[in-house]
Amino acid sequence: MGVMGNLLQSEFRKTITTGLWWGLLIPTVLLAFGWALGAGFVGKGFVDLASNADVEQLSDLLGVTPDQWKVSLFGIARSINIATIFPMIFGGLAISNEINRRTITTTFLTAPSRVSALTAKMLVYILWGAIYGLVIVLSVALGVSLSSPSSLLPDFEGWLALGIAGIVASILMTMFGVGVGALMTSVVGTTVVLLLYMLLIENGLQLVLASQGVDKIIGFLPNGSVNGLTGSVAVDLFLKSAGVVPSELEQVLRVVAGSMGAMDWWLSGLIFLSWTAIVFVGGWAATARKDIT
Amino acid sequence: MHDGSGRIVVQNLTKQFGPVTAVQNLSFTVEPGSVTGFLGPNGAGKTTTLRMLLGLVTPTAGFATINGSPFGRLGQPGRVVGAVLEAQGFHPKRTARNHLRVYASAVGVPDGRADQVLQLVGLGAAGDRKVGGYSLGMKQRLALATALLGDPQVLVLDEPANGLDPEGIAWLRSFLQSFARSGRTVLISSHLLAEVEQTVDQVVIISRGQTMYYGPLDHLRKSQQSRVIVQPSDVNGLVTALRAEGVTSIEQLPDGRIAIAGVTSKHVADTALKAGVSVYGIQEEQIDLERLFFQLTSGQYAAPGYYVQQQVPPQQGGWA
Repeated sequence: MGVMGNLLQSEFRKTITTGLWWGLLIPTVLLAFGWALGAGFVGKGFVDLASNADVEQLSDLLGVTPDQWKVSLFGIARSINIATIFPMIFGGLAISNEINRRTITTTFLTAPSRVSALTAKMLVYILWGAIYGLVIVLSVALGVSLSSPSSLLPDFEGWLALGIAGIVASILMTMFGVGVGALMTSVVGTTVVLLLYMLLIENGLQLVLASQGVDKIIGFLPNGSVNGLTGSVAVDLFLKSAGVVPSELEQVLRVVAGSMGAMDWWLSGLIFLSWTAIVFVGGWAATARKDIT
Repeated sequence: MHDGSGRIVVQNLTKQFGPVTAVQNLSFTVEPGSVTGFLGPNGAGKTTTLRMLLGLVTPTAGFATINGSPFGRLGQPGRVVGAVLEAQGFHPKRTARNHLRVYASAVGVPDGRADQVLQLVGLGAAGDRKVGGYSLGMKQRLALATALLGDPQVLVLDEPANGLDPEGIAWLRSFLQSFARSGRTVLISSHLLAEVEQTVDQVVIISRGQTMYYGPLDHLRKSQQSRVIVQPSDVNGLVTALRAEGVTSIEQLPDGRIAIAGVTSKHVADTALKAGVSVYGIQEEQIDLERLFFQLTSGQYAAPGYYVQQQVPPQQGGWA
């Protein structure tokens, strides 16, 4: 095994020799499963409502067929988005915890260079982001399958697209966390900032921007763009199978999918990748040069 | 990548943290085969110097090398140098064995090496306990075990005796001496000379970020000065007589006695007799190693770049 193989093994062992990986995986599973289960019920309720005789008349008048809408797609996207909070926190602790516990000293003393140590850490956390992403997608699939009739669920191709989008989102969220953690260097600070920003601050900002009619900006914000990655995949899949959908409804669908103002999935993905790159490179540069006193 | 010499070179090393100069133009060399003590009071810049040597802190000026190479260019540093810098570099929820296995991977040695070093430092029975439950002394032993994972040629220890019980200190002392006797290099810092006096062969003494002395401890021992305290009937008469003989380091003590350095009590008594001065009391006072260390590090000799390599003959002792 080469030097990089040694460092990869070392970094991976670091993650599995403390309880953090499963301590965060449990709430990840519960949240992903719970949201998907609930979203499935809400979707089923909506379709039941749309299928009742009075509404059906209106639907027929509009020429739409809501009883064929695969509304579970939106629940799946939203459940994935909310659950990726945990891999983000897991990533956030990668470097901040080492600085806090002062194990960073030994890490740098046993690696040929800081760059090699940080590269190994980055690769291991990409792997963890993928593991969390896979677990999230599977938990969401289980939850939504239990509460949605199969007619409302995506087909195989749809599952594949959402699954890949979910895993990519989870990897990027993990890297975003690693970068913020490396910049902040404080465990508590990193956790608080990441959670506050992703759960409160940006959502508030999104409401303000939407009320000002500039909701396009939302798609460029970190949370808005990462939500857009999964949300826009869901919207695309939905439109493909929904039959007739009025074009005015598309923005509404993005709101339903939890990705207000989002661009296409690939553009959203690139935008969040850029955010991740900015914090990650910043955190990397700070850690590579930092005096470890 | 490195020359395998086991030599540590610190050359004109300077580190500034904002307005604070932690280390100023520090130079010394540590040779293999001996234990070198790196001494100075708290805040003298010892830890910063060691961290610059280990590539953890970037020097403002100057350089430090191990085996002729800066730390960052050693290739596999864990196989060349092991360091015990603090007893806190552990995750409290990780067991000692797992901690060692994490770094055994990084250094590139088999997992069995983790068990070997645990046995070596006497933690064999506690290997599966979480480090959070360890005493300070046990953490020091685990830090040493981590440093030894790669069977390094050079060992750097920053205040390793902190938290060790007397038995642990005695064990560490013999361990380091046998490590050095096998032709390897040991650099050990301490703020107490007495703590390492029996361990080290060479010393580097620094104060306020500057080198005050570096060389064999024996030379320092030999330079232990004695001074003669005398109570003469005529202070001026005796001082004049001594000055006439070329004795200059004469100090008037607050109690009226005078202290003369670099002479024997016999010399002073003879001079007093010749000068017709009565001597009411005379005593020889020895400055011990610890006091010399204190003088070296309290700024008394703190001229920049001044090396105390003096060789004062040992005191002869006794009453004249």
